[in-house]
Amino acid sequence: MNTRGLRRTIWLLGILLLAMLPMAMSGTYYQFMFILIFIYSVVVIGLNILAGYAGQFSLGHAALMAMGAYTSALTSKALGTVPLLAQTGLNVWIAMIFGTVVAGATGAVLAYPALRVKGPYLAMVTIAFGWVVWKILLEWVSVTGGELGITAIPKARLGSFVLTTSYFYYLALAAVVVAMVLQRNLVKSEFGRRLKALKHSEIAAASVGVDVYKEKVKVFVISAAFAGFGGALFAHQQNFVSPDNFQFFSSVFFLLAVLFGGAGTLLGPVIGAATLTLLPELLQDFDRFRLIIYGCFILFTLYILPNGVAGLARRGATPLPDLAVTSGGDGSVAQVLEAPEVSRPLCQDSKPAPFIEVQSISKRFGGLTALNKVSFTVFPGEVHAVIGPNGAGKTTLINIVSGFYKPDSGIIRIDGKEVKISSMHSAASFGIARTFQTIKLFGDMTVLENVMVGFERHSSTRLWDSLLRTRRSRAAEQRRAEDALALIEFVGLGDFVNSPASSLSYGHRRLLEVARALAVRPHLLLLDEPAAGLVAKEIEALKDLIDTLRELGIAVLLVEHHMDLVTAISDRVTVIDYGEVIAQGEPAAIQRDKRVIEAYLGTVDRDVIG
Amino acid sequence: MEFFLHILISGIATGAIYSLIAVGYSITFTTMRVLNFALGMWVMIGGMLTLTLNVMLGFNLLITLPVLVAVMAILGVVGERVSIYPFFRAGSDVWIMSTLAVGFLFINSAQLIWGHNPLPVPSFFGDGIIMFGPFAIFPQQILVIATAFVIFSLLYLFYYRTLLGKAFRAIAYSSEVTSLMGINTRMICILSYVMTSVLAGVAGFIIVPITFAEPQMGTVLGLKAFAVAIVAGLSAPRGILFCGLAYGALEALASGYFYTGVRDILGFSLMILVLILRPEGLFGKPTGERA
Repeated sequence: MNTRGLRRTIWLLGILLLAMLPMAMSGTYYQFMFILIFIYSVVVIGLNILAGYAGQFSLGHAALMAMGAYTSALTSKALGTVPLLAQTGLNVWIAMIFGTVVAGATGAVLAYPALRVKGPYLAMVTIAFGWVVWKILLEWVSVTGGELGITAIPKARLGSFVLTTSYFYYLALAAVVVAMVLQRNLVKSEFGRRLKALKHSEIAAASVGVDVYKEKVKVFVISAAFAGFGGALFAHQQNFVSPDNFQFFSSVFFLLAVLFGGAGTLLGPVIGAATLTLLPELLQDFDRFRLIIYGCFILFTLYILPNGVAGLARRGATPLPDLAVTSGGDGSVAQVLEAPEVSRPLCQDSKPAPFIEVQSISKRFGGLTALNKVSFTVFPGEVHAVIGPNGAGKTTLINIVSGFYKPDSGIIRIDGKEVKISSMHSAASFGIARTFQTIKLFGDMTVLENVMVGFERHSSTRLWDSLLRTRRSRAAEQRRAEDALALIEFVGLGDFVNSPASSLSYGHRRLLEVARALAVRPHLLLLDEPAAGLVAKEIEALKDLIDTLRELGIAVLLVEHHMDLVTAISDRVTVIDYGEVIAQGEPAAIQRDKRVIEAYLGTVDRDVIG
Repeated sequence: MEFFLHILISGIATGAIYSLIAVGYSITFTTMRVLNFALGMWVMIGGMLTLTLNVMLGFNLLITLPVLVAVMAILGVVGERVSIYPFFRAGSDVWIMSTLAVGFLFINSAQLIWGHNPLPVPSFFGDGIIMFGPFAIFPQQILVIATAFVIFSLLYLFYYRTLLGKAFRAIAYSSEVTSLMGINTRMICILSYVMTSVLAGVAGFIIVPITFAEPQMGTVLGLKAFAVAIVAGLSAPRGILFCGLAYGALEALASGYFYTGVRDILGFSLMILVLILRPEGLFGKPTGERA
């Protein structure tokens, strides 16, 4: 039996065991504990997708759970007055769905502002949100019942069949299984890959067209919906909710469960939820020291188990590649790239139009003028080098063309049309891809995955397809993997497809960055000092690679110090000094230009090149 | 009118406390991009120590304050070592949890040492009222406001007139380059955390006669101060002073003239609004990043 089949069998056995468990348990206390574990697992799984995979910490999930619980409780009571719904028990099921939706919508309202800023803002904003919700639950007595909460919440039932504790057990178990499956589908999909990528480097993810902000809001909404669904289950199991159930401490508990179980692992949330549900039961006699115990538990987890319990098992082992691809399909690189030369052949006799025209771009940082009225054009199939002394503004130029900075003035035209490149991911949608001076790869992802993220902007897979892992999404993944492999082989990394990017040598990392940028299917490729740190042989390979790209009709803007490379492959060179263009022309002419020599060597009185 | 002025002054006094705590968030955020998520609990420790030193042991204020500052500084060093250093720059935000863990230890310890009940601490200059023409002020309120102004002035001088302060600002721009310039960045990180801790302790010290001493006294203060820091901008200390005072006044007026419940939701709503309209804060500058 192969490992995949084995794993599936173990999962099925586990679920079966849990399903038979109520028969072995006497009394409802243990059933009750298990139900609680299941419900918390659903919430923690949702938080794991957010915190574990996407790296966004929320400390307001108890409040989102409260949104689900209170909404579902109130709605089911209100719908209970409709005879038809009350008789069939539909009022509860509709209410639970509604509670989930409301929690998700609340998540959107919260995430939209909170995620506009990077860093720890989200965690703090969600704490404040949790506190406000708690306050509202206490104060808005006419609706929420205040401190006393809502009582006599209808039980879940099918027709006249009421789900008492022993039957609710199965509902909760089913909910966990569904949540686990959705979690797996999500994190193994391209959406999950984007999350992992942006967790690692938001800038790099944006450079290949990932709308980082949108993805983060999306994952927060999904996570909030999980919490809301957990809350709805909780309400109809307990038949009673009060603000005490959803205090700040519960939010800490959920995040702790994620970290203790193993952030970014599939099984971790369940381990974490189970441990942290049972722990208070064991600690009943130590209530006086409750916060001290939890404080120590948190520190213990962070120090001793940085990867969580589930992370222990996998320590040292390389992560299993999620996709196994052996051949790059039958598409040639030209086809994979949908190269301009292939997709829109140029007329031989007429002069081609430039792909990009940059006109009079200026950029200031405070009092420093980094770029002053810089203009240049790059034609399809042209290698245009930008050179200049350190600090001349070369990288600023790349940052503007790739949408990382907005210029203070000036115009950019693409294919003759004036455009505003407002962000890095919008640059990608104009067909502009880049590499970075300081390499920014998704280190803990494999070479294959790194490149696959690059195909982002060509994806048509909907989130639903990813969640349900439909045939459509799987077929798209397979094709993407094949295309990625073709690119990896093209840059010469065919032997490292399933290695983590962080294990590659420096030169190979540079090449991987190029492959990832190529996955954007760029019409313009911006290379920021691609030869830096490469040995002579690697520079030769890079030169061949750029030559091939030129033949495919891709425009290349090359910022480089390595003059041999520049002279050998550039069609034209632009020289910048102190933010201004001081010369433009063919490499040979540039080398003789007096101002260029001055810029590099300082002012000279006589002609040094005799 | 008298009512108006009265709540305005008390609001500004509360606002001064928000500013003092909020600038603490700003200091460590500037140097390390790190926040103490349990800063309110540190304020509480400051208040509790004041209770012990000033009320229980009967030390006068000139002894209480230095002892308190020393204890907070030591706790700051330990707190940084335990909850920030091991996780700082590990690429993950788990220090959020470790700083909270330290806060939990504080609250629980406070409960064990001082009990759960709010204990009164007398005002430092008695409970007499000073009359300024028609309206009355408590001396403690003047003290709070004056302390905030003194501390913010010192902070300004520190940032802009001392070499060390300039290093603080340099590190915010590029830790790597600062380190290359021969500045001990590790030392600065510890120092910034200690400054934050001491400021929180001093905030607890001067507010405890107004709020009563109890283990939960700092929790909400910490949250509201965060709202102030966001509204002003984490990189703008002077803006934080202004926003803190303004927010304290606004809050007091809102609960004085409307419904008390409005007060607690006000800060959160303002914070969300600012994040939507101007994420870097009203006084903050967008952070310059490099690709």
